[in-house]
Amino acid sequence: MKEILKFDNVKYFYQTKDDEIFALDNVNFNVKEQEFVSIVGPSGCGKTTILSLIAGLLKPSSGEVILDGSNKIDTKKIGYMFQRDMLFDWRSVWKNITLGLELQKPKNLDEKLKLADELLKKYSLYNFKNKKPRSLSGGMRQRVALIRTLVLEPKLLLLDEPFSALDFQTRLNLCDDVYEIIKSEKKTAILVTHDISEAISMSDKIIVLSSRPACVKDEIILNLSGDTPLKKREDSSFSGYFEKIWRELTNEEKSENG
Amino acid sequence: MKKKAKTVNFSLSHKKYVKKLRQDKFIVIFFRIFVLVAFLGLWELLTYTNVMDPFFVSSPSRIIAQLGDMIASGTLFHHTWVTLYETLIGFLIATVLGYLIAVLLWWNEKVRKIFEPYIVVLNSLPKIALGPIIILWVGSGTNAIILMCVLICIVITTMSMLSAFINADEGKILLLKSMNANKFQILWKLILPSSMKDFISVLKINVGMSFVGSIMGEYLTSKAGLGYLIVYGGQIFKIDLVMSATFVLCILAFVMYSLVSLLERIYKK
Repeated sequence: MKEILKFDNVKYFYQTKDDEIFALDNVNFNVKEQEFVSIVGPSGCGKTTILSLIAGLLKPSSGEVILDGSNKIDTKKIGYMFQRDMLFDWRSVWKNITLGLELQKPKNLDEKLKLADELLKKYSLYNFKNKKPRSLSGGMRQRVALIRTLVLEPKLLLLDEPFSALDFQTRLNLCDDVYEIIKSEKKTAILVTHDISEAISMSDKIIVLSSRPACVKDEIILNLSGDTPLKKREDSSFSGYFEKIWRELTNEEKSENG
Repeated sequence: MKKKAKTVNFSLSHKKYVKKLRQDKFIVIFFRIFVLVAFLGLWELLTYTNVMDPFFVSSPSRIIAQLGDMIASGTLFHHTWVTLYETLIGFLIATVLGYLIAVLLWWNEKVRKIFEPYIVVLNSLPKIALGPIIILWVGSGTNAIILMCVLICIVITTMSMLSAFINADEGKILLLKSMNANKFQILWKLILPSSMKDFISVLKINVGMSFVGSIMGEYLTSKAGLGYLIVYGGQIFKIDLVMSATFVLCILAFVMYSLVSLLERIYKK
């Protein structure tokens, strides 16, 4: 598969009035097309910074972020899904998922509207098309948020802990849904999460970051049987992966405190 | 709402609950009217029996007679219209202009920071102090009154809207940015619609404030209007006139407030 994203010796400093925070130190990794990659690391290590760099919301202090062969980030190639669903309460579900189309006014608008319609049907939200988001459950809201992202047909999906605000049951089900949607739409995705088992169950590859300033500590290619994240959790090697990543993260936190 | 149609198969306890709700509502409305009737009745009784002197406190029947005279001569409509006109024009100018200034200040952070202290000072300044200056600059009469009204409403409009704009959800701004939105789109799709609730409460405040402005303006300089009637009535010791004008003013303020509430209900649908 073709490489879609490459971090090449990326450094990043946050500027504040009293301080300069060294967030990323020579981060190197790459993501291939249709790959599902998770980024895990100690809290506050700069995971979201990485996503912001990919989305073009921040510029690297040095080094390069290369998206689809270019170091000039084209925002239209990125779909960003946040921890909160960020649905606009005053817009109907339909108006929410077509928000990006309103902003970008693509030439093939009719096709995209058709796609939006299909996605709503496919993921059983069609009956709620004209409802306001407040009448939906948390899981449904996140599915609407995902469709809003998918309608723009991004090459790369960025998922910033999109499940963390949900209760456990909803979370597991939504993981399955999102996984299925991403795989069946043949999308590439990068997931940032605190939840190690979530990362293992969904990913093809896990990038383990060190504490701040973050660099890539380990890259783990996963080989689990099962079609869905829930099934993958039953694989016998699941706990082995979990232990390995957990140990790496605790060592990081220890060395940070010590 | 729509659920009313389904009351067929509800349990007894639900029926009881609904009944209690209705009873409570009835009690509230009943006592609301009772307070008004009791107040007016007592007032009439005390003045009729000369316990209180109607020369100083007027009475409901005298107010009705006064209003009747003024309606017959057409002066009531004239004075009411003058005040309403000044208030509405002042209200509209202040709301639109104040809103636009807030948008401008949201748009440019530097401009906002530069003007911040001036706005704070303007807000705490009692606008009535500017009365003589206003009259010197725009002359006495309607213009001065409208300007007073605008001055009173505009600062609070700008300040409230600006803080609503600034408090818009950062995450949603980030979402729009990630969708490649420009600043105008962020304003149009997020900042303005998400601040509608605040806008309606600003309208509610402005209804009251614009009447303060127009009446205060009429105290300063006027030949007609409800504020003029109140001052004039006070000067010639005709308390009936003062009370009548105040009564009409209450009705006007109530109608305008109701219109804004109606707007709110339409918006919420």
